[in-house]
Amino acid sequence: MRDYWLSKLFFDLQAPAAAAEYRASREQVLSRYPLAPDVQAAILGNDVQFLAKRTNPYLLRYFFLAAGMKDEEFIRMLRYG
Amino acid sequence: MASLVGVYAASHGPLLVREWRAVPAPEKERLTAAFHTLGRHLSAARPDVLIEISPDHWVNFFLDNLPAVCIGVGERHDGPPEPFLEAFPHRVIDGHAPFALHLARTALREGFEPSLSHRLKLDHGFCIPLWRMALERLPRIVPIVVNSIEPPLPSIERCLAWGELLRRAIGSYEDPLRVAVLGTGGLSHSIGEPTMGTIDEDFDRECIRLFSAGEPARLAEVLEDRLPRTGNGAAEVRNWAVAHGAAGHRGFELVDYLPVPQVIVGCAFAEWRF
Repeated sequence: MRDYWLSKLFFDLQAPAAAAEYRASREQVLSRYPLAPDVQAAILGNDVQFLAKRTNPYLLRYFFLAAGMKDEEFIRMLRYG
Repeated sequence: MASLVGVYAASHGPLLVREWRAVPAPEKERLTAAFHTLGRHLSAARPDVLIEISPDHWVNFFLDNLPAVCIGVGERHDGPPEPFLEAFPHRVIDGHAPFALHLARTALREGFEPSLSHRLKLDHGFCIPLWRMALERLPRIVPIVVNSIEPPLPSIERCLAWGELLRRAIGSYEDPLRVAVLGTGGLSHSIGEPTMGTIDEDFDRECIRLFSAGEPARLAEVLEDRLPRTGNGAAEVRNWAVAHGAAGHRGFELVDYLPVPQVIVGCAFAEWRF
């Protein structure tokens, strides 16, 4: 299953300027996307496993890279939550 | 008439650039040598046009428009938009619109329905091999995007058939173009999955054995069986299947294979027999 708006957010944040804006003001950027409350909470809480069920794995990886998470931490959260 | 002058494949993992400093010196030497070998052979073949087959890594397409196959029919394409490829020397890359449109028309005539783009952005999948092969002169590029990123994906059998179609289309183009084919991506890797970082060497060596042997039905059967059980990045072997079909299923010679944990990819390089 794909959450369109979650995926759209991740897709848009591939642009460096958009990623920088997200890192500076996460809530402001998220407010532009009609995300379900549990999805928004998962984004803000770095709930990798919850988000992994709702988007493409490449987009998931790009997002956490853009958000500043190292691959080692991302992989650990994918595996163990 | 146009002629097919070479068929090649190479890995394209982004960490080949982004994490290049972390790659140990012996692996760097082998990777560089493999890319340069392909580059020398490609240059020696003197192609006017290079048909390059790669996925789109969420650069041109999104969930609202996700073609299984897209041919870049533009006179020009844009260079890679990824920030880590800022130093890639070609920001605009020449295409070959008449030949690309001939491919598209041939496809439609033969029961294939590709999407078309008159201006594609060529991401790392297209540009890293071109860059690392250190070509003195870039041939005109006709890019073909094959979806191996977001399921459902084209079958291996269909990818082989696409390659056969390319072979026929090259043979029926009236101008005396010299055309080469390069499939990029793979072999095994895993992105954004719990297995991320894992390289499936057993899968990779089986792939190499199957492509070397040449037999397309067995290749399709084994890949369809094994791909769902290995990392998602291995799906890019579809581009190798297109190259295999274009080469007439003659089998390839491996230039090198090395699993490189620092780039999280089983890196492979090959040239099909002629």
